[in-house]
Amino acid sequence: MKKYLVKRILLIVPTLLGITFITYMMIRLAPGDYTKLKMGMEGALKSGSISKEILEQEKKLYGLDKPIIVGYFDWLAKSARLDFGISRKDGRPVWDRVWDALPITLTLNIISMIIIYIISIPMGIISAVKKESAFDRGSSLVLFILYSLPTFWVGLLLLLYLGSGEYLNLFPLGGFRSDWAAEAGLFTRILDVGWHLVLPVATLTYGGFAFLSRYTRANMLEVINQQYIMTARAKGLSEKKVVFVHAFRNSLIPLITLMATLLPGLLGGSVIVESIFSVPGMGMLAFEAILSRDIPVIMAIETIAALLTLAGILIADLSYALADPRIRLEAKI
Amino acid sequence: MRTRRLSLAVAYVISVMLLAGCSGIAPERDPYTLNVHMGAEPGTLNPITATDSYAHAINLKIYETLVDRDYDTLEVKPMLAERWDMSPDHLKFRFYLKKGIIWSDGVEFTADDVVYSYDRIMDPKVSSAQLKVYYIDIKSCKKINKYAVEFTYSRPYYLALIFCGGMPIVPKHVFSNGTDFNTHRNNRFPVGTGPYKFERWDTGKNIILVRNERYRGAKPEIRRVVYKIISEGSVALQMLKKGEIDLMGVRDIEWVRQTNSKKFTDNFYKLKYYLPSFSYIGWNEQRPFFKDRRVRLAMTHLINRKEILDKLLFGLGEIVTGPFYIFGKANDPGIQPWPYDPERARQLLKEAGWIDRDGDGILDRDGKKFSFTFTISSGSKFAERLVSILKEDFARAGIEMDINRYEWAVYLDKIQSRNFDATSLGWSDPDFQDDPYQIWHSSQIRGGSNYIGFSNKEADRIIEAARTEFNEAKRNRMYHRFHRILHDEQPYTFMYTSPALAVVSRRFTNVKVHTRGMNYLEWKVRKPQ
Repeated sequence: MKKYLVKRILLIVPTLLGITFITYMMIRLAPGDYTKLKMGMEGALKSGSISKEILEQEKKLYGLDKPIIVGYFDWLAKSARLDFGISRKDGRPVWDRVWDALPITLTLNIISMIIIYIISIPMGIISAVKKESAFDRGSSLVLFILYSLPTFWVGLLLLLYLGSGEYLNLFPLGGFRSDWAAEAGLFTRILDVGWHLVLPVATLTYGGFAFLSRYTRANMLEVINQQYIMTARAKGLSEKKVVFVHAFRNSLIPLITLMATLLPGLLGGSVIVESIFSVPGMGMLAFEAILSRDIPVIMAIETIAALLTLAGILIADLSYALADPRIRLEAKI
Repeated sequence: MRTRRLSLAVAYVISVMLLAGCSGIAPERDPYTLNVHMGAEPGTLNPITATDSYAHAINLKIYETLVDRDYDTLEVKPMLAERWDMSPDHLKFRFYLKKGIIWSDGVEFTADDVVYSYDRIMDPKVSSAQLKVYYIDIKSCKKINKYAVEFTYSRPYYLALIFCGGMPIVPKHVFSNGTDFNTHRNNRFPVGTGPYKFERWDTGKNIILVRNERYRGAKPEIRRVVYKIISEGSVALQMLKKGEIDLMGVRDIEWVRQTNSKKFTDNFYKLKYYLPSFSYIGWNEQRPFFKDRRVRLAMTHLINRKEILDKLLFGLGEIVTGPFYIFGKANDPGIQPWPYDPERARQLLKEAGWIDRDGDGILDRDGKKFSFTFTISSGSKFAERLVSILKEDFARAGIEMDINRYEWAVYLDKIQSRNFDATSLGWSDPDFQDDPYQIWHSSQIRGGSNYIGFSNKEADRIIEAARTEFNEAKRNRMYHRFHRILHDEQPYTFMYTSPALAVVSRRFTNVKVHTRGMNYLEWKVRKPQ
């Protein structure tokens, strides 16, 4: 087990190098670069050849004149010391920008994931146990209707009906906290943030129930027809025990696989939700960075996401052994 | 257990509702605060390195320049300089600074700040490419004494005074402390001489300015300005209706459909005004199809500009015939737009040799089909809808058109490398400069803004001569002739100039529209009855 862990952790290094190099190469090879964008239609195209010289100067400033390989190793040497460089947009360290956006995204994502799991797993179990019942069909219909509603539409409707004051005035029109809350006590501040979070969390969650509950249901169904379930029933165990102890635990494996995507998923923000509710999270940060070819920011986010994905996969592999004692982790990979 | 969880939830909901209820009264709105909508966050507020229009709008209230232009007449008038001289050969400009002007941190403004700012703009280590191109013709910027500076140009240019007089000026004592200019702390904490000073920047939320109590001139009545960053325009409109925003620009559809109720017009002014800008379709003359003037003219005749204006832009805008500001003097109002006339277009195409010889419904010449690609930026909704209309109209005339959509960065790359047949874009000229050199002079075909490859000897001569013509009336006559040439040559199909659409809360009075747009420095706060 220990050997396995060490080996897996060592393997992360080359994988990470590969991922970051490919990412860096892709950004550099993509048409358009930061300096050209900065000068835009009205800049880069002005005054012709003289501006070309200026453009070259500007490229030098951002290291865009160097070959890709050199640029990558420059980046690598710096980021190995945890220095992700300076964002081109505002000249602040990339870390500062990530630290601004991260808490917002984490809060939103953790809350909505908890809600999604708490609601959809029990629903999936019940649907599987009462297969083809009115509840199964009804919940499936409702969840799929929710699933198919576009986020931007639901988000805007929620704001319009519950926040604009034209109909109801229950929630704020976006943002993360009120201006006046800065001086208030801790409890009020938490309540204030909670109040701002209701609509974005609702928008983030409603579409997520369908997938997870259907997924749980399918796995449960597979397990519930197994012979050991019949045995458990034959032993005279209560239905509760049969379902939650014998069946559910065995249906966990696929759910764990899903958990591997959870960790990187926590970091990824939804551009749509963030822009509708004016919460400046990771989604907007990454999106803007890509559009403006802000390489240091893109690389930082990409590296963090890659690390978390690899960690997620590792944790999932380890949890298999916990959920199913038959699985042994060996150093042979 | 279950009941406890439930009661917790209920308690939460109740407290939320209570908070919501309170919020209606809790934050007492300060009548002297103006809340302005901003669609995106600027990167920095350093006027030398910032490129976006939002940073520009905010910096206008914080930083000042040597001279300014009158909001109505556009005449050059003193700002930081009290007067200026121009040498008879139009090459030297000497500015005499007002004495006793202080930066908002208390240090006096002097000629050193001007020279320092010029040096930074031209410094290869400073990320100011977008400004450098304007100051290439300046040979030197010299300090004469503490209150006088002199700019020397290498050649005469009628916009020279505006360019050097409008150069952004930053405080030397703040920026010259040895740290890198591009990432300087004060790029996000500006210190200026203007009527407002910077107070706070909540990243991703808002930028707050307060009145500069040390400002030498008349103090504005609005004491505090909050620029709110709301990326979604429709949400911002709801905030405006709720009273959280006082000033914002709206889209045409919102102008027509969502801002006409009595309740709305009772609470808000609706302001529509034109700034110099126009949209166009550019035909790449380096491609065989559009080399011929008759073909370009035929394309214009095939485009029903009136109908497109009414359908796609709700009739908000004017059809233009040339590149000049339609209310400016350089524009020749006598030139009428070419009409929508498919018959005439067919005839012109025939004259140019484009005839459907093989009967497949598509025109051809020398065995080559008239089939071209229209390149657009995928972000533009207008372009997207425009091309689907054009595609049909052109097909009826026997011209095949494909559409290529690219993300903005890629699109720019395609245009800059001249790798397109036709495209639709717009130019704006926010500083009322008029000078057509960058877009139309044939020297700008390689690497410049003349990316469609327009080349006309007479036009070149006019453009060059106008640059050194300091008599405005004479220059405008030259521009009228130039306008006529463009109209006949149709290197672009000139489309529309679209108005700026703004809504402003009636909490303020004296809200006026000038040639240069609105200026909240002059607004008054309506006194409660």
